[in-house]
Amino acid sequence: MTSIPAGADPSTTPSTRPSGPFDPPGVAWQRVSPRLVPARLITTSVTLAVPIVAGVVLAVLVSPWFWLLAGVPAALLVWALLLVPRQVRAIGYAERDDDLLIRKGIMFRTLVVVPYGRMQYVDVEAGPLDRKLGIAKVQLHTASAGTDADIPGLVPDEAERLRDRLTARGEARLAGL
Amino acid sequence: MSAPTPEPASPSVSHPAPGPAREEQEWRRVHPVTPFVRGWAAVVAILVIGGQQVLDDVANAVRALDSVRSLWWVVLLGLLLVVAIIFGYAALAWRMTAYAVDDDAVRLRKGILFRQQRHARLDRLQAIDVRQPLLARLFGLAELRLEVAGGSDSGVAIGFLKEADAQRLRADLLARAAGVKAARRTDPPAAHATGVNPPSDGGVPAPDLSDAQPTGSGQGPDAGVDDDAPEAPERQVYEVPAARLLQSLLRMPGVWIGVLVLIGVGVTVAVTREVSILFSALPAILGVGGYIFQRFAGEFGFRAALSPDGIRLRHGLLETRAQTIPPGRVQAVSLTQGPLWRGPDWWRVKVNVAGYGGGEGQQQGEQQHVLLPVGPREEALTALWLVLPDLEVENPDDTLALLDEALTGDARTDRWFVTSPRSARLLDPWSWRRNGYAVTGRALLARGGRFVRSLEVVPHERTQSLGIEQGPWQRRRGLASFVLHSTPGPISPAVHHLAEDEAARLLGEQSARARAARAHAGPERWMEGQTAGQTERQTEGRG
Repeated sequence: MTSIPAGADPSTTPSTRPSGPFDPPGVAWQRVSPRLVPARLITTSVTLAVPIVAGVVLAVLVSPWFWLLAGVPAALLVWALLLVPRQVRAIGYAERDDDLLIRKGIMFRTLVVVPYGRMQYVDVEAGPLDRKLGIAKVQLHTASAGTDADIPGLVPDEAERLRDRLTARGEARLAGL
Repeated sequence: MSAPTPEPASPSVSHPAPGPAREEQEWRRVHPVTPFVRGWAAVVAILVIGGQQVLDDVANAVRALDSVRSLWWVVLLGLLLVVAIIFGYAALAWRMTAYAVDDDAVRLRKGILFRQQRHARLDRLQAIDVRQPLLARLFGLAELRLEVAGGSDSGVAIGFLKEADAQRLRADLLARAAGVKAARRTDPPAAHATGVNPPSDGGVPAPDLSDAQPTGSGQGPDAGVDDDAPEAPERQVYEVPAARLLQSLLRMPGVWIGVLVLIGVGVTVAVTREVSILFSALPAILGVGGYIFQRFAGEFGFRAALSPDGIRLRHGLLETRAQTIPPGRVQAVSLTQGPLWRGPDWWRVKVNVAGYGGGEGQQQGEQQHVLLPVGPREEALTALWLVLPDLEVENPDDTLALLDEALTGDARTDRWFVTSPRSARLLDPWSWRRNGYAVTGRALLARGGRFVRSLEVVPHERTQSLGIEQGPWQRRRGLASFVLHSTPGPISPAVHHLAEDEAARLLGEQSARARAARAHAGPERWMEGQTAGQTERQTEGRG
């Protein structure tokens, strides 16, 4: 059918800017707030800090072998520091006339299409850290448990606007199961 | 003793609509034996545990008995007290349980400490099951389960009722849910032959509903006496003989692995003369044996019938279950064939129905989803036909050829299927030729698996959401997988390793097709169109 779109050349290294099948024509992607980066990094470092600290303490007190215990989570932390900003940049969503598109991932990419008429309810969530940083997560629920449709890192105003818009559009197009 | 378990008041199942003109809001009670039938498991557990304790330590128990012999009246009093408490609780639980039915909804209230009132809207009805556990069968009782697709444990279980009452209530509920009751019809619903066209080729045995007689379908003489809802006529389509079921179980690889393990254990025991090995292997043996027995007992005497109220399934050896799945409630169908089923060309057909849930944790989870436990290809296609009477293939004469290709074909012989490109060979060396999809006017067919062949069919209007996925290796080779999200159940339809641009194109086209199909989907109250003069387009603007 159509020729392989430019950028889908298998030889190119994966870039943060998805292209090809994950970029349907005529879709203007909206990005999420960059404040999601610190939010994710803080949670990751807090979880990784426990084994790192434990490892360092034990390495100093007991045996140098425990540097391994500290080293592995430390390496993970560096990896996360490099990866998370790119991951956050890769998240995008777009409202079309009849459905919402959500795009995610660098290594493992997904693109989900959720028809407005299929939405059962919409959640807006914000934990304490999220509130401090001023972001919220909008989650869409259909009758399917497989629908993995959440948009993290939205500015609260945008989250509320999106929620209202989605519910209004959902009501207008509501279909049975 | 656990009678209707007191649950924290959960939000009602669906929107408690301010009932318009509650005409006959009469609360009815369930059968008084209910708490005992429900609680028998607890009683048995107590007896077993108590018995074990005694057996563990017979000598001690005897000595203890000796010492309390003088206090026998205390023991007796204690026992009487326990019985009285159980009895009182059961009586109270029974008094607190009641249900009511009106044109729009079913209400159920229960619970002693935590009162719960549930309100299930009938137009959201997904399926009705009449369940009879062994004990209930002895009493001639049955439980009615309404599934309404409200997430986990959202069903309404009315029970236990007398068997005839349960049948009558089911017929009544189905008539109301179908929208016939609202129209105050006088005749039993004419079999809606309009939607039931046999596949054109005639190769698939297609039972014709038009000659189905509106008898009470043998559901007891009083099923039709009630003026409000005679049982809809039904016609049996297929049944699974016990011999075939047993053979099919013997042809499962798991069984052979189990037998091999058993032989291995036996040899080890014989060689080492260590009997304790047998005991350590016992849980695994019991697990495999239990699974096989459960399959056999659950799918014993499987019969499927078609009626205007939808698909009727009956099965069960110890606990019997009669399922009714109204038209348009099946979200996805899958046909699978294990490697050892190839000789006789047997297939297993399963469905996703919104109310039945994921099946995890639930004992009957798997059984509820079965449309055909095992059957030759014609029967499997008949089962598919029960769900989708017409696939609307471009050229109707090709229907059977297309289905053959879907079941056993691969890329070398394909005429309709779009398959993985050659570059998928390294990622999926085994089944890359089988991975593929085809689209008809009504549904998407997703094919896959070479060792265990499978075909998943999703009607366009039942698509919940869809997406594409791509991992790093797939990107290297310009591949992507296409995923359809269906309601929770055994089927999660997907087409793996399509060419990138092909997957993107399918995503775009499929979302457009699903949108168009939704707009023209039949009404939730499935008989409304028939009674009110073919008003097909009334789903738009509902809600």
